[in-house]
Amino acid sequence: MRADYITTNIAIAEGAMAAGLMFYAGYPITPASDLFEYLASVLPSRNGVVAQFEDEIASINAVIGASWAGVKAMTATSGPGFSLMVEGLGLAIITEAPLVVVDIMRAGPSTGVPTKATQSDVYQVRFSSHGIYSIPVLVPWSAQEGFDLAVKAFNIAERLRTPVVLLSDAVLAHAWEKVSLRSSEEIQVVNRKKPKNLEEGMFPFKPENDLVPPMPCFGEGFGVKVESLSHDERGWYAPDNETYKKLVWRLVKKIENNMSLIWDSERYFTNDAEYAIVAYGSVARPAYAAVKEFRREGYKFGLYRLKTLWPFNDRDVANSLRKIKKVFVVENNEGKMYREIARSVKSAEVISVPLINLEVPPPEEIEEAVKEWL
Amino acid sequence: MRKEFLAAGRGGQGILILGHVLGLAAAKYTGLYVTGTESYDAETRGGDSRVDLIFTDSQDELDYFKVRSADIALFMYSDQLLKYRRLVGNEAIVFIDSSFHIPELRSSWQVYRVPYTDMAEEKLGTHVVANMIALGHIIRKTGLIDREAVISSIKEVVRKRWVSVDLKAFELGMELDP
Repeated sequence: MRADYITTNIAIAEGAMAAGLMFYAGYPITPASDLFEYLASVLPSRNGVVAQFEDEIASINAVIGASWAGVKAMTATSGPGFSLMVEGLGLAIITEAPLVVVDIMRAGPSTGVPTKATQSDVYQVRFSSHGIYSIPVLVPWSAQEGFDLAVKAFNIAERLRTPVVLLSDAVLAHAWEKVSLRSSEEIQVVNRKKPKNLEEGMFPFKPENDLVPPMPCFGEGFGVKVESLSHDERGWYAPDNETYKKLVWRLVKKIENNMSLIWDSERYFTNDAEYAIVAYGSVARPAYAAVKEFRREGYKFGLYRLKTLWPFNDRDVANSLRKIKKVFVVENNEGKMYREIARSVKSAEVISVPLINLEVPPPEEIEEAVKEWL
Repeated sequence: MRKEFLAAGRGGQGILILGHVLGLAAAKYTGLYVTGTESYDAETRGGDSRVDLIFTDSQDELDYFKVRSADIALFMYSDQLLKYRRLVGNEAIVFIDSSFHIPELRSSWQVYRVPYTDMAEEKLGTHVVANMIALGHIIRKTGLIDREAVISSIKEVVRKRWVSVDLKAFELGMELDP
């Protein structure tokens, strides 16, 4: 383990490499470009490949190909690039290709404000691909967590044969912080299940009890079939209702049933709290400062911070906030995750505090907005 | 322990490098935690460069990214002092480059005025190391970070051909006693 002073973008790149990243494909976009540049400068010397493609569509498809070729692969982009990747993301979901997509949120719609942050893509990363599916989305609040959650994202991707989104933003991306960097030997690294024999390798979509099929990859001696159409366990096109239903239910359930593997949240000062702020990502930082300030003023505030956004864990959210009287959901958008929190928490009044601020709302702005409801 | 440090200069004055040297020194060569953010404009346009650093000795104390009440501040120009003075705490130690005009100051501040830029030009033949003189002075007067940690960090951050002159400038700052 070594300590360094790096940005969240670099921390994510380091975490990905520690987890075993071997292939990165991307197209430059602010505020994700420096993650790409950093990997281009270091990954080749670790025998990995970094490639720039003509756009984000080609990039994510190259990443899917690399994943099917048996290596750990990643791309990084921002909202506009993610829009282009959405079709490919669906392909990764239905072909069950383990990979990581890093989305560094900036201000949209469209090209918006490229260098500034909001938290406006929390639905985009979950719902923008068509069809029936579920996808894990992890959200760091510091450079250290950029490293830690990059490792976790790869481990989930490999364990569940699924794309995973790591959702950061422009402010976090370029904040410099102390990060404890661990090597591959110092962290837990998960690798995808492989077919045990040729017979098993004939069924690239036949799940085991955990709903996850072992993955035969190119070049390993299996006749690999990768099918984007609805398919049976052999990977053969099967448009009938039974096969389709079975497939998409499994795609959803292998994620939702493994909630404990994916979900994480943290509580601060919630033991005796009457009020709680719910926040995630960069906004959780000033929210934490605001909670401490409220405490100094005598208000019993706590902070409940989401480290995973999707799949949404209704039960953990409801349990964590069950003793709270008023819950304030503070986010840097028009109030998106508020709907999920309000749906889950029946025991308290849940109030949306949408604070759109290109620089991340400062603690004072949060305090002022929340105080109106006290 | 929690210390907030704010530095502002113009493009080309090495404010970002100063911030990076301090941040790395703390993160890598001491047990401190640190959060740093920077904003800058193009050197040719003379836009503001600003660095916010927050040092703590526990992770729990790190929260918001930006300085709200600086304990230590460095201003290379008077207009930046006016622009950012609301972010400087009442008990702050304030370092100002007196090569340029200085406006009214807050009486509760502990103020050091040194012509860092002129001094760099006179003693080391180039104004570009004014940042390192200021850094040495800040370390001497505040004890914010261990001297050796800063030296290690300078050697790591600064381009090779600038290391020796930057170290000289840093030591010059450490010796300042106004």
